[in-house]
Amino acid sequence: MQLVDAELQESRQILPGQWLQQYHAPALAAGARAGQFVHVRGDWSGLVLRRPFTINTADPVTGTISIHFREVGRGTAWLTRLRPGERIDMLGPLGQGFQVDPRSRHLLLVAGGLGIADVRLLVDEALRDGRQVVLLYGCRDASEVYPSSLLPDEVEYLVATDDGSVGHKGFVTDLVLEYEAWADQAFACGPLPMLRTLAGLVAGRKGRLGVATLGRKRGGGRPVPPGSPAARRRSFLQVAMEQNMGCAVGACLGCVIWGVDGPQRVCREGPVFAYDEIDWDATAGPGTHAQ
Amino acid sequence: MDLGRGLRLRNPLLVASGTFGYGVEYADVVDIERLGAICCKGTTLRPRQGNRPPRVTETPAGMLNSIGLQNPGVDAVLERYAAQWAGWRVPVIVNVAGESIEDYVQVVRKLDLVPGIAGVELNISCPNVGKGGLQFAIDQDAAAAVTRAVRRATELPLIVKLSPNVADIRPIAVAIADAGADALSAINTLSGMALRRDRSGPFLGNTYGGLSGPAIKPVALRIVYEVAQVVGIPIIAIGGVTGLDDVLDFLAAGAVAVQVGTAIFADPTLPVRLVDELTAECGRRGLASYRPLVGTALPGRTGAASSRGVEYRP
Ligand SMILES: Cc1cc2nc3c(=O)[nH]c(=O)nc-3n(C[C@H](O)[C@H](O)[C@H](O)COP(=O)(O)O)c2cc1C
Ligand code: FES
Repeated sequence: MQLVDAELQESRQILPGQWLQQYHAPALAAGARAGQFVHVRGDWSGLVLRRPFTINTADPVTGTISIHFREVGRGTAWLTRLRPGERIDMLGPLGQGFQVDPRSRHLLLVAGGLGIADVRLLVDEALRDGRQVVLLYGCRDASEVYPSSLLPDEVEYLVATDDGSVGHKGFVTDLVLEYEAWADQAFACGPLPMLRTLAGLVAGRKGRLGVATLGRKRGGGRPVPPGSPAARRRSFLQVAMEQNMGCAVGACLGCVIWGVDGPQRVCREGPVFAYDEIDWDATAGPGTHAQ
Repeated sequence: MDLGRGLRLRNPLLVASGTFGYGVEYADVVDIERLGAICCKGTTLRPRQGNRPPRVTETPAGMLNSIGLQNPGVDAVLERYAAQWAGWRVPVIVNVAGESIEDYVQVVRKLDLVPGIAGVELNISCPNVGKGGLQFAIDQDAAAAVTRAVRRATELPLIVKLSPNVADIRPIAVAIADAGADALSAINTLSGMALRRDRSGPFLGNTYGGLSGPAIKPVALRIVYEVAQVVGIPIIAIGGVTGLDDVLDFLAAGAVAVQVGTAIFADPTLPVRLVDELTAECGRRGLASYRPLVGTALPGRTGAASSRGVEYRP
């Protein structure tokens, strides 16, 4: 974790209200892993908190990282007005990223809306490591479809829209069953109902496929503590969660979601969790109803 | 500075409970040994899971939090951190919360004589826990009773933290001072709430939260100013400190030290920078210590007994 000065290099609106910004921040680009995030502070007045953004892409060679966000409030509005050459303060890289099993050949990525930002770097990492990637993407309608030009050609990219204006008409989770036998591991980010549906699908997967789980070659293998990198690597589904944050370093306990073992800090134990670490009934995301 | 019973701070910039964890979380980016002291997260007798999320949200010039005193319990806190704290130069003050006098006493007994624990700050004012904290802080008899009980249980330096959620803080502050507190800290958060974006209900999982940040500084300043005129023990100011001007204001209003809380989230390096800025300010004014800055705004400027023990040496 470092505090660095990041210089904006390029900023563009890639979808209505959604921005892609590239920053020069070599120290972050060098260490970033897919699923990790940065906590950002602009020279904005009147705002007391930083804003967390997933590291959308990272290129150690050029020393750049990118973030992809929707303009939703004063912080993000301020960022959209930043000009190339101007600087912001970034704390990062933060949190636990996705854990890919070295033996996994086929990765299924599922993204709802802006959740694509959380899995975008995983696409690059997986292709670099010679894995095959299927990316399922869901959004409201054609106007929100993530441009395929922003994805490497090697990715198999399928879209679902609520109104059917592009791709499958319905939920992105409808597409998952077709790939569940193919996939060695799945990684997802998106609205809470989507993640909850996925978790439900995965819970029934073993029964449907009758397959052995990865990493259980001899007599089930050594037991691994839940939440550990090894346990997450063995889980079929990992999800990137979101929550409002204060410190983003594990100090304030402001960012918890509810896990089966009680509160879990999204900034520290997460943002990536194995699907079975989460108490889906008790978990409420930002702005949703809390029990 | 000696805040009482040998709690000596090398400088008057502390970090506030709940905003700096156990001192280890920010260690990558902050030189924690340069802080005046660290007040750790509120610690209770038994582990607490805290409130349902969401727990934090930004508000105009501030934020609301409803952590609900999530902590692993005093035994786990000691096991995980005490040895490490004992090796630090920076004193660690354990913030203690409870739901009964007996809770406080038991926690403090466990802290007593443990190497690495420099002092105790009693959180009798956390507005987040329905039945517990609030009663002590708003009732001078209850506040005095818990202070007296804890005083009897330990020789550790004892700071009692005041709540702003009362009509008149002065009789409560006096009662706590009379009951044996070595110092007071003020203020904890103000009770508040926010609604969901679609206004379908409260935003925080706990409905209510504590307001902190620049928005509460005038309230904190008023309370420090009032308390400084009625007690003879040192006051540590807390509330919305974001820069040197805030530090100087609180000293002038009668505080001998300040805690930085919410501002750390935006700028973790702020408290240490304020140490340097305050030293530079003293140099500019030709002062050998910060003492002459304390209480200058109090009426009459005499009887500022709260400056007792202020002997920072840059
Ligand atoms: C996220 C958060 C957690 C807090 N937790 C505690 C706590 O456990 N015990 C306590 O006495 N005060 C707690 N506080 C209150 C602060 O220590 C401080 O009194 C208050 O935030 C006002 O200072 P500030 O405006 O500089 O933040 C907490 C504040 C915040 C923002
Ligand atoms: S945001 Fe402070 S603990 Fe996660």
